Amino acid sequence: MADTAKIDYKNIFYPPGGILLWIIIYLELLTFGIALVFMALNARTEPEVFHESRMLLNTAYGAINTVFLLSSGWCMAQSVHFLKTENFGKSKLFLKLTLLGGILFLALKSVEYYDKVEAGLTVGYNVFFGYYWTLTLFHVIHVIVGIVILLVLGRTLSKKPETLKVEDYESGAAFWHMCDLIWLLLFPIIYLLF
Amino acid sequence: MERTFNATWLVLIVLTIISAVFANLDFAYAALIILGLSFLKFIGVAFFFMELKRANVFWRVLLVAFVVLLLTVVWAV
Repeated sequence: MADTAKIDYKNIFYPPGGILLWIIIYLELLTFGIALVFMALNARTEPEVFHESRMLLNTAYGAINTVFLLSSGWCMAQSVHFLKTENFGKSKLFLKLTLLGGILFLALKSVEYYDKVEAGLTVGYNVFFGYYWTLTLFHVIHVIVGIVILLVLGRTLSKKPETLKVEDYESGAAFWHMCDLIWLLLFPIIYLLF
Repeated sequence: MERTFNATWLVLIVLTIISAVFANLDFAYAALIILGLSFLKFIGVAFFFMELKRANVFWRVLLVAFVVLLLTVVWAV
């Protein structure tokens, strides 16, 4: 690796993944958080609509997708660990498993979206589904961006692992974990709460 | 390190299953429990998978404060 120098994570300017990525993470969480608060406020004025709409969602799909993302996050953490110990083979293997988790998430989400469109539960169906489509699609875009970032990192890891910086790899991993964090807020509130 | 990741993953999966079970129960405090479990999962991913536990206290406090505030507001409104 080009830079294996020990990073002082306790320094406020060097959180794992880099300060820039963490600023992005907080801004993303804040954006989704504000939308979820507005969703909860709307649910207060139309509790029946929100409850009936929530019951139209497939909780099993949401729970399975949570398992896919959490497992993918576990693989990503392992991949970073093996990169730091310069075990590039295992790092690559876990990166591929991470990507598989992301692709499975997108595949199941596509099935879920297809079911909803077939049933006529589109973005304009009611307020609840407006939030459902907006928030989950926005999250899906993040997952797709995360997959692209991991593919780029994976290419370097396969071709020139010695040039890959731990900081860059940690930043990519932090972005991927951010998708987990966002989903861990969306799943309980959209699929389970109302 | 690997053991920590494995244990974290197992706990997260168990918490996800418990959340899904509580969502299907007609129980007064189900919402509170679901949000509490999602707080634990959120912290699990951030502190162990993202290794925030090794970061400066500023980043840790900021994240915990954010998620506590958000889930409290969502529950309270």
